[in-house]
Amino acid sequence: MNCLNYPYLTPELIVVIMGLVVVFLGLFIPTRFKKGLGCITGLTLIVAIADILRTGVLWESQRVATYFYDAYTIDPFSQFFKLVFLAVSFIVVIASIRRYREDSYQDEYYGLLLFATLGMMVVASANDLLTLFIGFELASMSTYALAGFNKTNPKSVEAAMKYYVIGSISSAILLFGFSLLYGATGTTNLEAISAYIGANGLASTTGIAILIFLIAGFTFKMALVPFHMWAPDTYEGSPTLVSALLAAGSKKMGFAAAFKVFLVALIALKLDMQNVFFILAIITMTYGNLVAISQKSIKRMLAYSSVAQAGYISMALVIMTPLAMSAGILYVLSHAFMKTGAFIATGAVVYMLTQEKKDLPDADYIDNFAGLSKRAPLTAFAMMIFVFALAGIPPTAGFVSKFVLFSSAIHAGYITLVVVAILNSALSLYYYARLVKYMYVLPPAGERLREPRAYLLAMLVAVIIVIAIGVYPAPFLQWAMNAAVTIGL
Amino acid sequence: MSLPLLSLMMLIPLVGAIISFISRTRNQARITAIIASIIPLIITIKMYLQVDPSTMWVVETYDWIPQLGITYKLGVDGISMPLILLANIVVPLTIIFALGETKQTSSFYGLLLLEQVGVIGVFSSLDFFLFYIFWEITLVPMYFLISIWGGPRKDYAAIKFFIYTHIASLVMLLAIFALYFIAWAQTGYPSFDILHLLKEYPSFSPVVKDVIFFALLFGFIVKMPAVPFHTWLPDAHVEAPTAGSVILAALLLKMGGYGLFRVMMPMLPETTNTSLVITVIAIIGVVSIVYGAFLALAQKDLKKMVAYSSVSHMGYVTLGFASLVPLSLTGAMYQQFSHGLITCILFMSCGVIQHSAHTRIIDDLGGLVQKMPKLTFLMLGGFLASLGLPGMSGFIAEFTVLTGAITTLFIYVLITVFGGIAVTAGYHLWAMQRAMFGVFNEKLGHIHDLAGYEMLSMAVLLLLVIFFGVNPDPVWNFMQAGANTLLAGVHII
Repeated sequence: MNCLNYPYLTPELIVVIMGLVVVFLGLFIPTRFKKGLGCITGLTLIVAIADILRTGVLWESQRVATYFYDAYTIDPFSQFFKLVFLAVSFIVVIASIRRYREDSYQDEYYGLLLFATLGMMVVASANDLLTLFIGFELASMSTYALAGFNKTNPKSVEAAMKYYVIGSISSAILLFGFSLLYGATGTTNLEAISAYIGANGLASTTGIAILIFLIAGFTFKMALVPFHMWAPDTYEGSPTLVSALLAAGSKKMGFAAAFKVFLVALIALKLDMQNVFFILAIITMTYGNLVAISQKSIKRMLAYSSVAQAGYISMALVIMTPLAMSAGILYVLSHAFMKTGAFIATGAVVYMLTQEKKDLPDADYIDNFAGLSKRAPLTAFAMMIFVFALAGIPPTAGFVSKFVLFSSAIHAGYITLVVVAILNSALSLYYYARLVKYMYVLPPAGERLREPRAYLLAMLVAVIIVIAIGVYPAPFLQWAMNAAVTIGL
Repeated sequence: MSLPLLSLMMLIPLVGAIISFISRTRNQARITAIIASIIPLIITIKMYLQVDPSTMWVVETYDWIPQLGITYKLGVDGISMPLILLANIVVPLTIIFALGETKQTSSFYGLLLLEQVGVIGVFSSLDFFLFYIFWEITLVPMYFLISIWGGPRKDYAAIKFFIYTHIASLVMLLAIFALYFIAWAQTGYPSFDILHLLKEYPSFSPVVKDVIFFALLFGFIVKMPAVPFHTWLPDAHVEAPTAGSVILAALLLKMGGYGLFRVMMPMLPETTNTSLVITVIAIIGVVSIVYGAFLALAQKDLKKMVAYSSVSHMGYVTLGFASLVPLSLTGAMYQQFSHGLITCILFMSCGVIQHSAHTRIIDDLGGLVQKMPKLTFLMLGGFLASLGLPGMSGFIAEFTVLTGAITTLFIYVLITVFGGIAVTAGYHLWAMQRAMFGVFNEKLGHIHDLAGYEMLSMAVLLLLVIFFGVNPDPVWNFMQAGANTLLAGVHII
């Protein structure tokens, strides 16, 4: 291990080493001390975040370094996404320390979480189809196991099973797309592919076939309609904290990969992509919002809202101007925190209720949120902030992101798209406001609850970031703009 | 370096709101609310003595999101200063009026203070991004005020209010984007500065100009609200708690009118077919006045009647706006100010009657004067002001709007005078007669009169109405300067 030769790889190195350390230590130490492993994991993530901020790559406007024969690049784009993944994992870990403090398998949980994060980080930096696929699979495999972490809960097992089966198929499809691309261009390097296509062109049938396979493969992770079927079931069945990781981390990895492959390698097929994503974005946001309205389970509602939000983000792939890409990337950041926060708040409610009454079925149903502002005021307040952020009410991150995204669409002349998005935004207000109404207006459904401090800390971090982006978005937007510049726009 | 007074004016109620939210006792919340809402009034009065109403008094500019040309820019002039004064008069008096609130008091006062922040923000922002943020922020506390403290159909009313006005603001947002990007393309640098964008607007292509104009107009007149976009108002008003109705009618509606003056006025002469646009706006104004008055006449619920009277009175603002005459325009601004004060008295009266008699249905009331002499006196004052009795502020506003508009919109003035004014007087007096005078309805049971704080609040408002009716100059001069500046750039066709 020679850190000096790879100065920008410190975050990855820390995460991989500590991941192994956590798994290894877990074999020896007794359950009651395993809580310490959670703390180690949290520290690891914090150090990795600090290192990314320290190197200041985010402020650059070009690529900083490439490693391993051009397979791995360090640029604002990669560091920005790494920051998102690490921060999301960090917030999830804070809450997990409380949630799994008595679980004898928690070492595996933290190990898997670190490896999942590592996979996502590799995807963010990958400049080669194979590297990208390895990162993709590392993250997927780890999250398959995490989704089924509540082994005794049939719902969790079902969620993991569904996620695994559909995930594997989509990986296969993705790999097939990669192999076609390799066959057509003779290289797996993203820039080399782009250069090859630029010089020699691509037969239109091959191009379409590649595009279909890649879009199907990536949109599975991004959970765009019609490849979203797994998402509500998985998010609902998985342990809530894992759902947070899936919705905020794993899903964003899909976007990172899609941005990279589509914008760097396949920019020649821009027109076809724009048409496809135009339809996907509109269907996804409309479908997600419509279905979210009728959900009783908050986790399911958040899952569908997450589908809808993915629709907004994929508008960036339709518009494809520098401003739109920055907006899309900024939206990824904001959505990651709003969604993690919302899932963790839901998790806190589920946790508090199940502490009170063991095996309460459907603890995340909206009826249990009635009068939450009286029963658990801090959780309810945090949830309200996240929900308003998701709805795009100022002064939150959600508002700024939507503002920039929609304005970039108008800028590029996509009036239809914006009108649909804005109507959707108004539509989504209905179910978000309904949740707030349940929490703040209806009479409490029970006694006052003891709010777990670890969850509160996690929510506090998320609230601070959501408000910070909303009130002073300048630095975040600058990072996003730098990131957009480095992937060619 | 002078103090950032406008920011302070928003910061103090904001801090007050936070303290109020976390306060444990009812008294703590009440005292915080009163102090935090009155300090901005003192600041306003101090500013009032310094501001030069004919120019924009830019108080503060800071870079905010430089990449997109978004600044934190606040400023006041003759158009906005009186409205800020209005906001800072109305909110403290509303809080004093609502001192008897017992349900979740800490949140209640906190939300009222947040409304104050949002409204001052709207009236003082000179950056469209900031403007839009404050515009949206005002919705959230009002949504809670209606849905927590509201009447029986509060769920429906709250969500209808929220979504209806949210859609209108989103349409407005689209127009703001269009303004921004086209101006960006023309000048080569991004800016959300309202005055800058208004300066660039004339050089846009005609079709674009019209689209932007109508999108913004839609956003503003839904808020006012003008017929045919007024349907959210009665629902919201009837279900809202008294304090919520007061803020809604006295301040939130004024945001729409303010938008007309600040943003639409400089744009108006640039539209392709200006005379047609003026005709449309004038018709909207007159229909609001006349139709609103007839709707009010038909209401059985006293509060609903008052709500429709707001629609009718805000029609004068639209009409005065369309006239393009300095006198009328000033009158329209004065109507905003005056209606803001008068409508408070009306809604407070409705609130007291509801609280005391447990009904607002006019036919079920009757003879309340015997039990509630103090209320009846103040309420009668408010009703007379509302119907335009000379000597009260409403008369000055409506009189000047109509007098000024005779030269340019003669036919509309005629319709208003014959169709609106008599009906207006009619529904006010008729309601007063049925509800307050005549034989006491024994079924109502025990009725108590105004509490001290309620009387204080309503009496101060009535005194202000009379004061500004006899001596309009302090506010009028400001508005006149503002109107003259506005019209200086407008070449009447």
